[in-house]
Amino acid sequence: MIDVQWYLLLSAGLFCIGLFGVLTRRNALIFLMSVELMLNAANINLIAFSQRFGHVDGQVFALFGMALAAAEVAIGLGIILVLYRNFGDIDVTAPTTMRW
Amino acid sequence: MTGAFDLVPAIAVLPLVSFVIALFAGKYMPKKGALAGIAATAGSLILSLWVALTVATGDGGYNETLYTFVEGTGTFSLELGVLIDPLSALMLVIVSLISLLVHVFSLGYMNDEGETGLPRYYAGLGLFTFSMLAFVFASNILMAFMFFELVGLCSYLLIGFWFREEGPPSAAKKAFLVTRFGDYFFLVGVVAIFAMFPATAGRFAGEGSFPAAAQAAIESGQTFYGFEAQTAITMAGLLVLGGVMGKSAQFPLHTWLPDAMEGPTPVSALIHAATMVAAGVFLVARMYGFYALSPTALGIIAFVGGFTALFAATMGVVKQELKQVLAYSTISQYGYMMLALGGGGYVAAVFHLTTHAVFKALLFLGAGSVIIAMHHNENMWDMGGLKDRMPVTYWTFLAGSLALAGIFPFAGFWSKDEVLFEVLIHGLGDSPLLLGGYAMGLLAVFFTGFYTFRMVFLTFHGEPRSDVAEDPEPVRWNVKGPLAVLGALAVVLGAINMVPIKKLTGAKIDYLHQWLDMAPEGFLTSVEHYAGKTGLLHDYAGYTKGYLAGETGTVLIGAAISLGLALAGVLLAYRLYNVPRPEEHTDRLGRAKTILMHNYYQDEYQVWLATGVTLPVAKAADTFDQGIVDGVVNGISSVSRFSGRGLRRLQTGVVSNYAALLTLGLVLLVAAFGLMGGWF
Repeated sequence: MIDVQWYLLLSAGLFCIGLFGVLTRRNALIFLMSVELMLNAANINLIAFSQRFGHVDGQVFALFGMALAAAEVAIGLGIILVLYRNFGDIDVTAPTTMRW
Repeated sequence: MTGAFDLVPAIAVLPLVSFVIALFAGKYMPKKGALAGIAATAGSLILSLWVALTVATGDGGYNETLYTFVEGTGTFSLELGVLIDPLSALMLVIVSLISLLVHVFSLGYMNDEGETGLPRYYAGLGLFTFSMLAFVFASNILMAFMFFELVGLCSYLLIGFWFREEGPPSAAKKAFLVTRFGDYFFLVGVVAIFAMFPATAGRFAGEGSFPAAAQAAIESGQTFYGFEAQTAITMAGLLVLGGVMGKSAQFPLHTWLPDAMEGPTPVSALIHAATMVAAGVFLVARMYGFYALSPTALGIIAFVGGFTALFAATMGVVKQELKQVLAYSTISQYGYMMLALGGGGYVAAVFHLTTHAVFKALLFLGAGSVIIAMHHNENMWDMGGLKDRMPVTYWTFLAGSLALAGIFPFAGFWSKDEVLFEVLIHGLGDSPLLLGGYAMGLLAVFFTGFYTFRMVFLTFHGEPRSDVAEDPEPVRWNVKGPLAVLGALAVVLGAINMVPIKKLTGAKIDYLHQWLDMAPEGFLTSVEHYAGKTGLLHDYAGYTKGYLAGETGTVLIGAAISLGLALAGVLLAYRLYNVPRPEEHTDRLGRAKTILMHNYYQDEYQVWLATGVTLPVAKAADTFDQGIVDGVVNGISSVSRFSGRGLRRLQTGVVSNYAALLTLGLVLLVAAFGLMGGWF
């Protein structure tokens, strides 16, 4: 039986990789992938604690999280398509019209 | 069964109907609304006479609340009601009679002269008559205030009837503003009375009236806002007096009345001589039970009245326009009424109010007749010799003038003599200050006799001084009729209260006194209640009677002095002006004449008060409002605006920046939780 802290370390690592991607990359697709990584880090936490305490609630929530991620990807890809149509690029720093 | 008292509201509603008819249908009617007005005021007169008859034969009064428009729980209510006692019944008859005669006279003065805008004129007269009648039978002071304001509005509308000329609109504005200035104090006084005696709802008569409550407050030693009851009553009374002084043209708020002569002459007769101006005096008489509790207020009323009587009479001496002389004499005569009220002569004041309403309406209508004849030239120096050319006008005008001057046995003699007599005996009693008012009133008698007959001689005697006066335009029955009615009344009306004769012979012919004493016991408005042996004036104001040489002697001396002074004035005028070619003898007054012609610079100093004091104060207040009050509000909003302008730069439009800020916020939050939770 693997202790729960290893899972937490794994999830923290994944979250940091995702956060790093969001903060540094400019490609919208990579952006989307990074967000997925962060979501899955949260899922790992849920499953780890679910196993630790013997409740299925966490696993159910992880399933919800995956469904949510799927929906998010659908919307995210849609946004990226519109982005490409309007700016001819998927660089997230290009669209700056919604500002003060 | 429907009695006269149930129909009292109809007395006022009839002229209101004529107002509506004249306003909306007047231009399609043969006389442009005059006939509706005549019918309505005739109806009012008949109903008023019926009411007066019911008062005389029945139980003497009626005091009902008809409609409560704000119901107060645990505090005062606001009501409309009807109060009929001998005083208001008498006033109803006076107002509707004069109004009827003025409507008839207007046929000659307005219709026959081919004026335009007549529906507006008759609508104004109707609205005025309605408001004035409703004011007279108002049962509480708030209702009285409402109709007091309405008559002021009608006065404004009618003074400014010829609004295309330069003078009338300006005079109308002045009349409105000056009386409004007084009414402002009146309003505060009404609020004070409601605040001090909320249970009374401001009612004038009965056990639940505010004068009765005020009397009870003095008896029980109650205090109001830290003031003793009598002091508080004096202050409330003086506040109400502000409205009275504005409306009845008492010094220093008299300046509007001479200017109000810009209006049509019938309007001057109805509003600015006989009825509306009487509203102020009537109000004091109406709430006399309240004023009688305060010797201070009575003293001020007497002095203001006496001073106004003298002050206005001196200005009347030099005026050149017929109506100006009459205007100043009106101010002066209302001064006498105030003097009588302040001097404890309640009956005398009502008596003089009655006779004055008749003979001053007569004089104004006579002046109107002369003005028609003179093609609207009012300058007396262009007249002369009209005596033989318009005899009806001359004889009636002469009757009115004899009454005004107070010559025996015309109406004005009896009433003015009684005014002076009442003030004299109370002055000789325990209130010697009243003798000052008496002296001023007595001196004014001389001036009254002089200016009245200066006016008569200049207008009617001597030789014609202009072409128009040679061949004046004739006047018709509708002018002569009202003059004849009023002329007859001016001769005989004194008979309603010949107190001197009563004192000399013991015959009970002081009918007006008896009439006013017929108010029901419970109303607390009878003369006995005010001026009886244990009346309010005796118990609260400390008025007692004193005599020079016995009662009869004082009556004779007083009458002889005032009649002598009046005759002296008349004789002086006769010597100076009853010549074929009179000169302006007043020129010999020199600088005094200049001051009199400028009305003692009253207008000048009041304009200076407005432009030199009120305007700078208003400007300072405006600066305070714009700078300090608005400044604080603007200052607070500018903080938000400036901080918003800085903070909005965070919204760059770049998604990565938002993500970085989110992360930063999360890190800070975790760090803060860590520090607070003691993780480190």
